[in-house]
Amino acid sequence: MAAKAGASPATYSPSPTTYKKNRPPIFTDVDWVRPDGRDFHQCRPAFLRTGAVNAASGSAYAEFGNTKVMVSIFGPRESKKAMIYSDIGRLNCNASDNKEISSQLHKSLEGAIMLDTFPKTTVDVFALVLESGGCDLPVVISCASLALADAGIMMYDLVAAVSVVCTSSCLGKNLVIDPVSEEENYQDGGLMITCLPSRNEVTQLTITGEWSTPKIHEAMELCLDACSKLGKIMRSCLKESSSTSQE
Amino acid sequence: MFLVDVSILYFCNVSAIGYYVGMVGLSVGEKHFIQGGIAQDLRTDGRKRLTYRPIFVETGVIAQANGSARVKMGRTEVIVSVKAELGRPSSSAPDKGKVSIYIDCSPTAAPQFEGRGGEELSMELSAALRQCLLGGKSGAGAGINLSSLSIVDGKICWDLYIDGLVISMDGNILDALGAAIKAALSNTGIPKVNVASAAPSDEQPEVDVSDEEFLQFDTTAVPVIITLTKIGRHYIVDATSEEESQMSSAVSVSINRQGLICGLTKRGGTGLDPSVILDMISVAKHVSEQLMNKLDSEIAAAEAMEEES
Repeated sequence: MAAKAGASPATYSPSPTTYKKNRPPIFTDVDWVRPDGRDFHQCRPAFLRTGAVNAASGSAYAEFGNTKVMVSIFGPRESKKAMIYSDIGRLNCNASDNKEISSQLHKSLEGAIMLDTFPKTTVDVFALVLESGGCDLPVVISCASLALADAGIMMYDLVAAVSVVCTSSCLGKNLVIDPVSEEENYQDGGLMITCLPSRNEVTQLTITGEWSTPKIHEAMELCLDACSKLGKIMRSCLKESSSTSQE
Repeated sequence: MFLVDVSILYFCNVSAIGYYVGMVGLSVGEKHFIQGGIAQDLRTDGRKRLTYRPIFVETGVIAQANGSARVKMGRTEVIVSVKAELGRPSSSAPDKGKVSIYIDCSPTAAPQFEGRGGEELSMELSAALRQCLLGGKSGAGAGINLSSLSIVDGKICWDLYIDGLVISMDGNILDALGAAIKAALSNTGIPKVNVASAAPSDEQPEVDVSDEEFLQFDTTAVPVIITLTKIGRHYIVDATSEEESQMSSAVSVSINRQGLICGLTKRGGTGLDPSVILDMISVAKHVSEQLMNKLDSEIAAAEAMEEES
């Protein structure tokens, strides 16, 4: 049975978990400072928690800086519309009725879920962005995979998503990880990876702007490293919530 | 001229939609035939893995539009029109014009597109094309030069409406649409505008749109889109519907003449190893040069044909 976490908030340590890159800061000579004073390769503290919605089969809440997201999972349950027979399950994603985010969410998650474990039925993923503070899509994706795990949906691995943007031309300049809204609005290009950290598999990769191949290489490496660290945080969140419910 | 389409003989009972995996009803034998052929670098229609179907381009197909093109790749057929209208630039980018891309999937391509059925695919294609052609949020790296659409900073600019219509679908829609947009843009003439000088700075200046003089739209920076479809352990370009039904995943890369990546998106399916994606990018880069040259010569030939007639 899926662990219902967060029943007693007191036992869940809300101290933010930080993950920091081991790389030495390369941009010591750059006078530009990020709005929240982070290093270019430093992510915001991630706060994750499962079991935020009691009525759902599984749910999760994520807070990355100012970005606050909640995802609830319903199902597997009977497919609503009169759909044609399918011997694998369906995944239905809805992110605040934003079709573009919904379809991105679907694409990122479908590669991780074992759809053949719930034939003829549908799993609904409802995501709600409570506060948009940059990097909304990656946070929604990570949070949704945590909620799916909380709901006990079979997955190959958790999906961790991280994005970078590059400022002042993607060709030679800086990569900024986990951007806030202001940084996203001034980006010259962006790259988002969603991956299954322990299988080292990329389920979705989107690139915008003009990039050279070595720069893509660098950005992917940076993201994958951050993804594996985020994956660990997500895993520990799940472990913590299951141990809480056992007590 | 056209390759003999053997697949018609084998798959005459196949339903038209193949964009979504599993929609094409293929027997086990047919699946093995496709997969085995790809493994041996000989596809069902006689192509190699990295060979495109013959590309047919026709420009100036819609008289009312500023530019238009029809592109056929095998049985995939799309029409794109470009319409330019005067508008106001947005306050965030006063020195730039605006471009909107919208793709419509006609029920003639597949009965599933009737009513709202094609909406999801339309939206997905539109989003992918916007991502590949319009660059980052700041407008850097855009294939379409938005600054050239500006007339009076902060007052008047050209709004380009790029509308695509999928007429017939046999796989590789995104690449065909990308090619059609490039062809339609190089067919686009933007009317010359004379701005009445000495207008007060707080009023909208008067403009005179010429209906005789047109400026050719520069399309050298417009990238081509290459979709690599992974089937088994190999990837192929220009997949047909039958081949798309067997894919494990597909990556669309848009590449410009300088060999820079202008956009990339992965279409659902299973996950890929990061090294495989990097390999796909380098293969796409290699293919892009040939496709770019082929497309440019086809567009030039189509333009010449149009002028003759």
